[in-house]
Amino acid sequence: MAKIKKHHEPVNWKKELRLAPGYIILLLWISFTFILLGWVLLASFSTTKEIFSNQLLASGPHFENYVKAWVNSDVAGIFRNSLIYSVISCILLILICAPAAYVLARFVFPGNKLIQTGFVSAMGVPVVMIVLPLFGIVANLGILNHVMSNAVLLIFLYIGINVPYTTIFLMTFFGNLSRAFEEAAAIDGCPPTKTFWLIMLPMAQPGIITVTIFNFINIWNEYFISLIFANSDQLRPIAVGLYSMINSMKYTGDWAGMFAAVVIVFLPTFILYLFLSEKIIAGVTGGGVKG
Amino acid sequence: MRKKVMALALTTAMAVSLAACGGGGQTAGTTAAPGTTAADNQGGDAQPAGDGSGLVYWSMWEATEPQGQAIQAAVEQFTADTGISVDLQFKGRTGIREGLQPALDAGTNIDLFDEDIDRVNTTWGQYLMDLEDLAKGADYEATANAGLIAACREVGGGTLKSIPYQPNVFAFFYNQSIFDEVGITAAPTTWAELDAACAKIKEAGYTPITCDDAYITCMFGYHMSRLVGEPKTEEIVKGGQWDDPSVIATAEAYADFASKGYFSDTIASNVWPAGQNQELAMGTAAMYLNGSWLPNEVKDMAGDDFVWGCFSYPAVEGGTDGVDAANYGAQVLAINKDSQNAENAFKLICYITQGEFDKMLSELSIGIPADSNNSEWPELIACVKPVMDSMTTRYPWAAGAEANADMTPIIKENFLKLCGGSMDAQGFVDALKKAGN
Amino acid sequence: MKRNRGMIILFLTPAVLMFSIIFLYPIIRTIIMSFFKIDGITDPVANWQFTGLSNFIRLANTSLFRISMWNLFRIWLIGGIIVMSLALLFAVVITSGIRFKSFFRAVIYLPNIVSAVALATMWLQYVYSPKFGLLKTVFTNLGLTSLAKVQWLDNDHKFLALLLAYCFGMVGYHMLIFASGIERISSDYFEAATLDGANKVNQFRYITLPLLKGVFKTNITMWSVTSVGFFVWSQLFSTVTADTQTITPMVYMYMQIFGAGNSITERNSGLGAAIGVLLSVCVVAVFWLCNHLLRDDDLEF
Repeated sequence: MAKIKKHHEPVNWKKELRLAPGYIILLLWISFTFILLGWVLLASFSTTKEIFSNQLLASGPHFENYVKAWVNSDVAGIFRNSLIYSVISCILLILICAPAAYVLARFVFPGNKLIQTGFVSAMGVPVVMIVLPLFGIVANLGILNHVMSNAVLLIFLYIGINVPYTTIFLMTFFGNLSRAFEEAAAIDGCPPTKTFWLIMLPMAQPGIITVTIFNFINIWNEYFISLIFANSDQLRPIAVGLYSMINSMKYTGDWAGMFAAVVIVFLPTFILYLFLSEKIIAGVTGGGVKG
Repeated sequence: MRKKVMALALTTAMAVSLAACGGGGQTAGTTAAPGTTAADNQGGDAQPAGDGSGLVYWSMWEATEPQGQAIQAAVEQFTADTGISVDLQFKGRTGIREGLQPALDAGTNIDLFDEDIDRVNTTWGQYLMDLEDLAKGADYEATANAGLIAACREVGGGTLKSIPYQPNVFAFFYNQSIFDEVGITAAPTTWAELDAACAKIKEAGYTPITCDDAYITCMFGYHMSRLVGEPKTEEIVKGGQWDDPSVIATAEAYADFASKGYFSDTIASNVWPAGQNQELAMGTAAMYLNGSWLPNEVKDMAGDDFVWGCFSYPAVEGGTDGVDAANYGAQVLAINKDSQNAENAFKLICYITQGEFDKMLSELSIGIPADSNNSEWPELIACVKPVMDSMTTRYPWAAGAEANADMTPIIKENFLKLCGGSMDAQGFVDALKKAGN
Repeated sequence: MKRNRGMIILFLTPAVLMFSIIFLYPIIRTIIMSFFKIDGITDPVANWQFTGLSNFIRLANTSLFRISMWNLFRIWLIGGIIVMSLALLFAVVITSGIRFKSFFRAVIYLPNIVSAVALATMWLQYVYSPKFGLLKTVFTNLGLTSLAKVQWLDNDHKFLALLLAYCFGMVGYHMLIFASGIERISSDYFEAATLDGANKVNQFRYITLPLLKGVFKTNITMWSVTSVGFFVWSQLFSTVTADTQTITPMVYMYMQIFGAGNSITERNSGLGAAIGVLLSVCVVAVFWLCNHLLRDDDLEF
C-alpha cells in the first residue's frame, strides 16, 4: 500500500482507519470480480476440454487460441474502423446534445416537455423497429453502394441513435446548477450562448465525461446497425468483425478460441477506457473547475 | 474545425431527411420496385455487385467457420474458371435471419442466399425463383440426394425452389464404448429395447441419457410423433388438445424413465452446452438426442478415440410412425426471383454443392456430403449413414413440438421438470392445460 | 426570455433534427403497425391487414406474454433495488477520499465492458455448475451442504441465477453515474458539515442524498430503458428456445418478428410492434413518475 505513496499526501492512518469499512467492501467485491474475470482469462489460455472439466491450464498455457483468433480476421482494420466511428461520433454527440440538454433542462418554453417525452419514448422502442424500416428507406437511396457515403451514413446513424440517450443523460447535470452563474455573466454583458460554452458546459463536466465513456463503449460494441448497414467488409467495425468470429467458434465448439476472441475484443476497450477516463478527468481537475 | 464538422453533419442530415421524406412516401404507398433501384444507383465499378454480370451471394455462415472457408474456396474456383466476379458476403446467422428480408424488400441486388430448408422455403418463399428448369438443364438430380430433393420440392409447394447442401439428421447419438462395455450389441429400435439398454448402462454406473434445455422439447415431439404421427402432434400443440391420450402416454413413458434414474441427475438444470460437453463428451453419459452436427461440436472435448454410434428414435408400441421417420434436412441455396443472373448463380450453386467442394465442405465441417458421388463420409459421422439412408418420412424441427411459439417455453419448463423427476405425468398434462394461452 | 429565444432554437435544432430523421418515421410506423397483421417488418403496406386492437388483446390473453411482462417487472424492481443500492454504496465509498480510487472504479466498471457472451458462459458453465461450480465449492467449504446441492439453473432458481449474473455486470455502470453526480457536489459542503460535527452517515443523508435526486432520476430512467431492452442475457441463458423463467417482452417480440428458435412458426410483426409500443409507454411512464416524485427544481448548487 505504501508503494504509491508518492502520488498522494502522506498516509494519515487515522483517516485510513475511518475509511476501513469502505476498503473492506470494495476489496470483497473486487476479489469476486477478479475470480470471475480471471476465470475468463485463464479459460482463454486453456483447451476446450479443460474448460468443461474444471481443469483450467492443466496442460499449460495455449497461446494458439489467440493466434487462431488473430490470424482469422483483419484485426487491425476493424480496430481502425471502430476507433474512427467512435471518436467522431462521441465528439459530435456532445456538440449536438449538450446544448440541447442545457436548454431543455433550464428554460421553460412551449414544446419542451414534448421533446423530452419524444426522446424518452424513442429510447423505449426496440432497436429493430427503428433500424429495419430505416434500412428500407436508405437502401433505396443508393448510399450503401459507395464506401465513403456508407461510412458517413454509419457515423450519422451512430450519432442519431444515441442523441436521445445522451441528451436525457446530460439534462440532470445542467438541471440544478445555480442561476447565479448565468445572472452574473449576463450582468457582465456575456451573451447567453457564450455563457453556455464558457461557464455552464465546464460545470457539467463529470456528466460529460461519464456519458462520453458510455457512448464510446456503446458505439465500440454496437452490433446491429453495423451488421445491417455496413455493406462492405472495409467498413466492418470491431463488433461485427469479432463477434462473428465469437459466434462461429461457439457453433463449432471451439470454446477456448471463443474466450480468446472475447479477450481480444475486451482488452483494447479496457485500455482505451482507462486512458480516456484518466485523460479527461486529469483535464477537468487540472482546470480547477468545481461544480 | 468544430464548425466544419458540424456543417458537414448537418448537410448530410438535411440530404438524408429530404430524401427520406420522398422515399418514405413511395415505399409506403406502392409495392416499390424490387431489383431495379439498387442497380440504378450503382456508382461505376466501386463494387462488383450489380454491374450486370457479377453475382452477389449472401451467406449464413461466418468467414471463419469451416463451411465459410469451403464456400470461399468454391467461389474462388468459380471466378477463376468462369471469370464471373462474386461479391460473397458472410452475413452470419443473425445477419441473414434479420437482414435478408429487409434487404430483399428494399430491392438490394442479391442473386443467391442460403439458410435452413424450412426458413428459406416457408418464410422467404415469395422471393424464390423456380429452379426446376435450371436443374433439369444441368442434370442436377443425377448426383443429388433424392430424399432431400424431394423434401425441397415438398416444402417448396411441389416445385424445386432450393438446392440442399450440408444435410443433417436428428437422432440419438451415443458413446459406442459404453455400449460395448455393458454388452449392448444392437442399437435399440423399440422403446422396450431402449429401456433394456438404459437399464444395463445404469447398472454399469453410467448415465444412460442426458440432454440440454435447448433440445429437450425434441424428445417430447419425437415421442408424440412416434405415437400419433407428426401432423397430429402439430395439431395437438397448436390447438392445445392436451387431453389427447398421446400426451399423457408420452409423459408417462418419460416419468417412468425418470423414476428408473435413466436421466442425468442434472438434466433439469443443464443449460446448453453443459449436457453435451460435460457429460456426453466426457464419457459419463451414453446417449443424447441431437443433430448430426453434434460430433463436430464436441470433438475438442471428446477426443480422437471417441467412437460414435447413431440410431433413430425408437418406435413406440401401438404407435403410427417407425424408425424411418425423423427430422432430416439441410441448408439450402436459393436464387432471388428478381436475379438477372440466374444461370450463373445456378452454376455457382453446382460448384458449391457438387464434387470437389461438396467433399471439402463435408470434410472441413465434419458434415454429410450432398453429392451422392461423394460416398465417403467423414469418419466421425460414418455411423449416421445407415440412419440417413433409411429415412422415408420427414418431420419438421422438433417433430412439431415447437410449432406453437407461445407454448414452447411452457412445454420446455414442464418437460424438464418431468425428466428431472420433480413432476409426475398427470402434473405435466395439467400444467400444459393450465397454461392454455 | 426573448433574449434566449434565439439560443433555444439554435441549441435545440441539431438534436431535434437528428431525432426526427432517425426516429420519427420508424416510431410513427411502429405505432401504425401495431394495429395491423403483418408478416415481416419491411413488408409493403399493401400486404398489411388492419386488425384494430386485436394485437393488444391477443397479447393480454397470451399467458407466455404475461409471463414475460412479469419477468420484466421482476428484473426491473428486484434487480433495480440490488443494482441501485450496490452502485450507490460503491459510489459513496469511492468518492469518500480513499486511495486507489481510479483503480477501484475501473475494476468495478470492468464487467460492463466484457462481452456478455463470455460472461454468460462463465456464469453458466462455471459459477452455477452443479458439478464443480464456484457456488458449490464455496458452500461446500463453508459446510452449507443444503445450499451446495442446489441446482442453480433448474426452473426454480434460473430466474435468480440470471438476475444475479446480470446485476453483477450492471453495478459498475450505475456506480459511474452516481459517482459523477457526487463528484459534482462541492467539497465545501462536506467540509462545512465536518466542521459542524456531522458524521459521515449524516452527511450522506442530509447532503449527498438530496443533492443526488437528479442523478437518481437519470439512473432510474436508464435502468428502465436497459431493463425494457433485456434480451441478450435472456437469450444466452436459454439458447435456441425461450424459457419461462428468462423470457422477456423483447424476446417474445423477437419470436414474433423473426420466428421462434429452429422451428418455423407464425410471424406477426404487427404483434411485435404492439410490444414495442407497450414497452415505450412503460419507459415514458417511469420517466414521468420520476419527474414528479423526484422534483429537484428547488435545489441549486
